[in-house]
Amino acid sequence: MKAVLRREMRRIATRRLEPLLLAVLPALALALTWAIFSAGLPRDLPVAVVDRDHSRLSRQLARMIDATPTVRVSERPADPKAAEELILAGRVYAYVLLPEGLERSVKRGQAEPVVAYTNAQLLVPASLVRRDLLSATSTLSAGIKRRRLRAAGETGASSRARFEPVRADIHALFNPQLNYVSYIFVALFPALLHIFVLLAAVNSVGSELREGTAGEWLETAGGSVPRALAGKLLPSTVAFLAVAGAAMGVLFGLAGVPTRGSLALLLLGTLLFVLAYQAIGVLIVALSANLRFATSVAAFLASPAFAYTGITFPTMGMPAFARFWGALLPLTHYLKLLVDQSMKGAPGSVSASSLLALLAFVFVVPLLAWPRLRRILRDERFWGRR
Amino acid sequence: MRVALRHARAEALRVFRDPGALLVLVGAFFLYSSFYPIPYLPQVLREVPVAVVDQDRTPLSRQLVRMADAHSLLKVTERPASLGEAEGLILAGHVGGILVVPSGFERDVQLGQKARVGVFADASYFLVYRQVATGFLETVGTLSAGIDIRRIEASGRTEAAARALRDPVPLLVRPLFNPTEGYASYVVPAVLVLILQQTLLIGIGLLGGTAAETPFRVAPTPAGDSESVVPARPRGKTALSRLLGRSLFYLALYSAYAVLVFTVVYRLYGFPERSRALDLSLFALPFLLACIFLALALSSLFTRRETAMQVLLFTSLPSVFLAGFAWPLEAVPSWLRAVSLLVPSTSGITGFLRLTEMGAGLRHVRFEWLVLWTLAGAYFVMAWLAERRSAARDVGPASPVPGAE
Repeated sequence: MKAVLRREMRRIATRRLEPLLLAVLPALALALTWAIFSAGLPRDLPVAVVDRDHSRLSRQLARMIDATPTVRVSERPADPKAAEELILAGRVYAYVLLPEGLERSVKRGQAEPVVAYTNAQLLVPASLVRRDLLSATSTLSAGIKRRRLRAAGETGASSRARFEPVRADIHALFNPQLNYVSYIFVALFPALLHIFVLLAAVNSVGSELREGTAGEWLETAGGSVPRALAGKLLPSTVAFLAVAGAAMGVLFGLAGVPTRGSLALLLLGTLLFVLAYQAIGVLIVALSANLRFATSVAAFLASPAFAYTGITFPTMGMPAFARFWGALLPLTHYLKLLVDQSMKGAPGSVSASSLLALLAFVFVVPLLAWPRLRRILRDERFWGRR
Repeated sequence: MRVALRHARAEALRVFRDPGALLVLVGAFFLYSSFYPIPYLPQVLREVPVAVVDQDRTPLSRQLVRMADAHSLLKVTERPASLGEAEGLILAGHVGGILVVPSGFERDVQLGQKARVGVFADASYFLVYRQVATGFLETVGTLSAGIDIRRIEASGRTEAAARALRDPVPLLVRPLFNPTEGYASYVVPAVLVLILQQTLLIGIGLLGGTAAETPFRVAPTPAGDSESVVPARPRGKTALSRLLGRSLFYLALYSAYAVLVFTVVYRLYGFPERSRALDLSLFALPFLLACIFLALALSSLFTRRETAMQVLLFTSLPSVFLAGFAWPLEAVPSWLRAVSLLVPSTSGITGFLRLTEMGAGLRHVRFEWLVLWTLAGAYFVMAWLAERRSAARDVGPASPVPGAE
């Protein structure tokens, strides 16, 4: 195996693609995702306010909207038509219509709704904007109500109970700051990493077949397929674990994602995750004996995978086929383990099923690839295909 | 022009005779546009399983639980005895949230004191948190408003006056363009645009790598009979006509895909398509040209058939997050926003989404349109230089067939 290892290290050192796939591009991907999300939650998203009332009350509400952390009143168009233009041109995420007669109706004791039109095509900003607009109007409403009840002779305690007879205290578990960044960042890097693991495994075995050096490779390993594979894949296993380690450093160090669970389970899971995708890469090459076609298949497995993992749209809401396909991807199990053991701090028993699933890929997939691999590495008819 | 048309035909033959190119430039579009959207097709996450810990066990607490279960976003699946037990259910992923009704809840309400309930939602999955928090907040808000209005009415006011006193300035939120806030309508149209760009970059890159592996080969002549031998890449003025010809073929193929996306695929998935055909075509033109010229320029860098796929595949995910629809660009560093404009999908996705789903006109996407024309111009020059350079390399001293046509 040492001979194979030496041979593989020489290949990596003398070629251009291998260092790219094993280190340069994954590092670039990590830096890119970090650059996108490092600024944290967006502040001061632009919205427009259409003030048709021009009263003290309407100006006060506009100021309160502007003062919320996520929203900034960037434009004050004269009418809804002009505000719609601003939404269509992408200059604001929403506009708020303060209707004519707002102050008068409120003084008369009538409820006068304020309407917010949000651009729901952009779900994330729309929901951030909605939350701050709601908090601005309800603060205004509460103030008016309190003054009115006091004027009617009711005192503090009873008017506060009046104000909201039943209140729900919302607790965001595991992510109390509702930090969208750590939530998406945790998942995004492994989703990028698995693309490289898969492509590198396909490439390292596939290029031996394509270049007709498979026989020589097997010979170096003394004719043993497992030894040949181990020596060949070990350098990239180590490289990817190093990259994953760097990513975890960024995640838990710089990005401040909590590690409430077991770091040992996480590291074990990461090892199994890398091995599982290496095994799948070998299986794809073994079945197709064609580097180009195997790379296409790997691309098809890897590029839509993130949608199937349940991180963006949860697994429980997916159609049965998507749940089934997602379960066939090691990425799904690894991301669940990652969320459970970093943010949630779930007990180890909860992660047992994720680890077992990853373990199953690591042991079963090579068994599927082995017989076919033994044949095509020895039979020259399978070499040189593009 | 006629020469360019012949080159277009030769390019078509090159694509359709190469199973690798065929898979990426033809198969991948259909495969990805039907496979990728599947997880999102239910559009809205409903009936999230939740647990209820009812420590009050009164008619009012039971009413609250019934109302929660009736909410479209929630489904009460577990009734653990204690909060500790409920937390275990959340850690194990069996439920997405917990409602705790403390003992004394009904009594507090009857005494006119403020009654509190606790809601715990799993914020490690964002959509789960949002649905659980919204569902419970709306349920509790409805119960609370009913109690409040009855109390105010009891003091002799009409129901309308009671409502106005309760909430003098209510906020109505009207989600525009995607009224159900569907997840597929939000993410899939953008990814369809990205599929066009990525298959072009990778497919043309694959052909570039193939050509680099075989600097000389028997290519079908412009006339179509494969008897005569011409170099794969001629130089000089012919480099320009070859570039135009090749681009013409890809423009024709991908215009067909674009029509397919915005008519058939949009309708199949039920996405709104509000654009005017002329605006959409005028916007699609610089987008496709920018992608094609960028692909042709990049393709000269690849030395093997697989390289383009291996090197470019990972760019899809960052491209999505830089296109401004999944993550607000206000939160992205400005240098990165500037760099991301070099990728056609950044402006392309923004523009297509506004035109189709939001019904904007071309004037609303003027900036994006101008960026795409600029990219198309710049990448055209780069593609031309690349075509000339590879032609010069081919017709080197080792050339068995000197010169071009």
